[in-house]
Amino acid sequence: MINSFALDWYFIAIILFIGLYCMLVSRSLLRQLIGLEIMSKAALLAVISSGVLTNNLSLAQTVIITMIVIEVVVVATGLALLAKNFRVNKSVDIWDLKGLKG
Amino acid sequence: MTYHTLLFLLTAVFAGAAVMAGDLLIGAIMLALVSVGTSLILFDFFAPWAAVFELSVCAGLITVLFVGAVSLVRGSADADARSRVKFMVLPLATIMAAIVLWFTLPSFFETLASGARIASGNNNPIGITLWDIRRADVLGQTAILAAGVFVIKSIFPRRNKAQ
Amino acid sequence: MERGLLAYILIPLLSAVIIPFAARNKPRLADILANVTLLAGLSNLAYLLLNANSFAEVPGDGFSLLMVFTIYLVALCVVFFSAFFAGAMPNRQAYYCLLLTSVAAMCGVVTTSDFFTLYIYVEVLAVTSFALITTDDTSAGLEGAIKYFLLTFPASVFIIVGLSLLLLSIGSFSFESVQLFLSAGMPGGTVLFAMGLILLGFLIKSGIVPFHAWTPDAYQGSFSPVSAHLAGIVTKVSGVYAIIRISMLMRLSEGMAEALAGTLMFLGMLSIIVGAIAALRQKDLKRMLAFSSISQLGYIVLAAGLGTPLAIIAAIFHLFNHATFKTVLFLNSASLEHASGTTDMEKMGGMEHAMPWTSWTSVIALLSTAGIPPLSGFWSKLLIIIALWAGGAKVYAMLALLFSIVTLAYFMVMQKKIFFGKKSEAAETASEVSAPMLAPVVLLSAVIITVGLLFPWFYTYLVETIAKRMIL
Repeated sequence: MINSFALDWYFIAIILFIGLYCMLVSRSLLRQLIGLEIMSKAALLAVISSGVLTNNLSLAQTVIITMIVIEVVVVATGLALLAKNFRVNKSVDIWDLKGLKG
Repeated sequence: MTYHTLLFLLTAVFAGAAVMAGDLLIGAIMLALVSVGTSLILFDFFAPWAAVFELSVCAGLITVLFVGAVSLVRGSADADARSRVKFMVLPLATIMAAIVLWFTLPSFFETLASGARIASGNNNPIGITLWDIRRADVLGQTAILAAGVFVIKSIFPRRNKAQ
Repeated sequence: MERGLLAYILIPLLSAVIIPFAARNKPRLADILANVTLLAGLSNLAYLLLNANSFAEVPGDGFSLLMVFTIYLVALCVVFFSAFFAGAMPNRQAYYCLLLTSVAAMCGVVTTSDFFTLYIYVEVLAVTSFALITTDDTSAGLEGAIKYFLLTFPASVFIIVGLSLLLLSIGSFSFESVQLFLSAGMPGGTVLFAMGLILLGFLIKSGIVPFHAWTPDAYQGSFSPVSAHLAGIVTKVSGVYAIIRISMLMRLSEGMAEALAGTLMFLGMLSIIVGAIAALRQKDLKRMLAFSSISQLGYIVLAAGLGTPLAIIAAIFHLFNHATFKTVLFLNSASLEHASGTTDMEKMGGMEHAMPWTSWTSVIALLSTAGIPPLSGFWSKLLIIIALWAGGAKVYAMLALLFSIVTLAYFMVMQKKIFFGKKSEAAETASEVSAPMLAPVVLLSAVIITVGLLFPWFYTYLVETIAKRMIL
């Protein structure tokens, strides 16, 4: 029987894998953002799991609150970039971003 | 313990569903459910403050932003719609990864956990921790919120009268 | 967070908040406010750094102080340049707000002594960078910003997982606690794994070779003065600074972190090689400078990976030099773009007669980058190579020397194509940019020459004042 921490982290690794897979295969910028969100959820769970194991919940919660604030701003920025890209290029496909080469 | 594991499993399933959803709107809703699952896990870990934040901000605000973005790009062709195979493969890939990881990762994580150092029971109220120990982070939060406002201002400028 | 340096974060942030209100009806006021804020900070810092008595009274690590000075120097040059740069800038106030916020964030990164706070400021910096890259609303800028976005945030996930392991094994994120833990000689497998994850995240953020896909695109696509800001200081502070800090800490673990240090040195060498070879075959000026930037970054990471005190000093010195010469080169590329309307090197040629000042400051900066004697870049490269030789990495030392000649080669090709050679159509109509736009590059060129000529004095200063206050 494995301990609870290892089991938590095993699931966290799987969630991280799903997010990474999403970012690797999708072409739509919006799906890329969904994958990013899933990955950051996994990171958040990693923090709380460590905090619980070491009986350091208040620090872990403080860190998580700060992380959530960062996440909102990051997602808002990403969606703003997406909206602007949609306005300029009429597409949200990242494969269409081929202007720069060398 | 089982309830706890079930929550993790549910979150992973929602994450998979969010990725696989053909309709982006469903993807956004599934993402909200991932947030709800995370929030329930946080409650289960006795971290109510973080859970409430997660529930209100991630499941609420971010979902609203996502749904707005989905309705913005609705008219355009979904680039991923042409080749759904790689999304359909996801459950298979995940299960295979899960089986491979099952034999390697838990023992590795147990090694990591053996390096754990139990904190000396300083479970201060969250406000005190935030203000006394992590005061620099509060300034950082202010900075990132200011940065967010400026980013939005810069990317969506107010239309001038001339335009 | 050192209280003495807090003002350098708060004042730009405050100024950024004031600008939209103060400059609502008078757009020029935004230029003036941004310049005055940074100039005041820079003169204060210069006074502190050059005056031994006042320097001793400032709290904080020497490395942080030098970095804050570099940040203000580069940012002031960029802001002053953009005030007179007549490019398309739809939203002038927001541009200055973002620049000042990014200065505040960079000062936050370099003055903190806590990994989590460092991470927060790195994110603030990243968020401001995307909007700065897309300042001129072109689709190239958007492409650069989106590629940067899609690579930098997965890197953050690695950093967070690493931080959660620090929380697990130490219970705190501060540099001192990590240092205490590592120097206590306890079995630190978990901490070293955490350090490895954090290092991986910052390597992606700094654009070291296997992860360099976004760097050229972001630099090439972005609004021209912003590319100087990004290449000169932003990516260095958001990535390389943390790498140097971590290698300073890892050295204390006495041999346990050898694998990590070895990987760091290998990636540094790979960056030098790939960056230099890729730069040789670029046709676009800004893209070539971006690859050259990757190559120079390699020198810094190589020295940081070695981790001896001399190597760390050399890495910090090269970081400072890189900020000065790369800013000159990118600002000159902005001037050239402004004058000739293109950044394609094939279409330029014979610009030397039309733009003598730009040409000669470029020569100074590129000779410094290539490591030609009396200039500052020579001394930092020499220090790096000596440190490598003394540290036993003789193969790396030879390769570093060899590729510094390749650097000279691609810059000579660039200089010949753009400034010398036969006059192109662009050179017929181009004229020298205005004096205020030349002032920043002339100032930075003067810094390059002065530091190079006064190197013995500067080295003593670096060792006796800056390095004395670091844990080496």
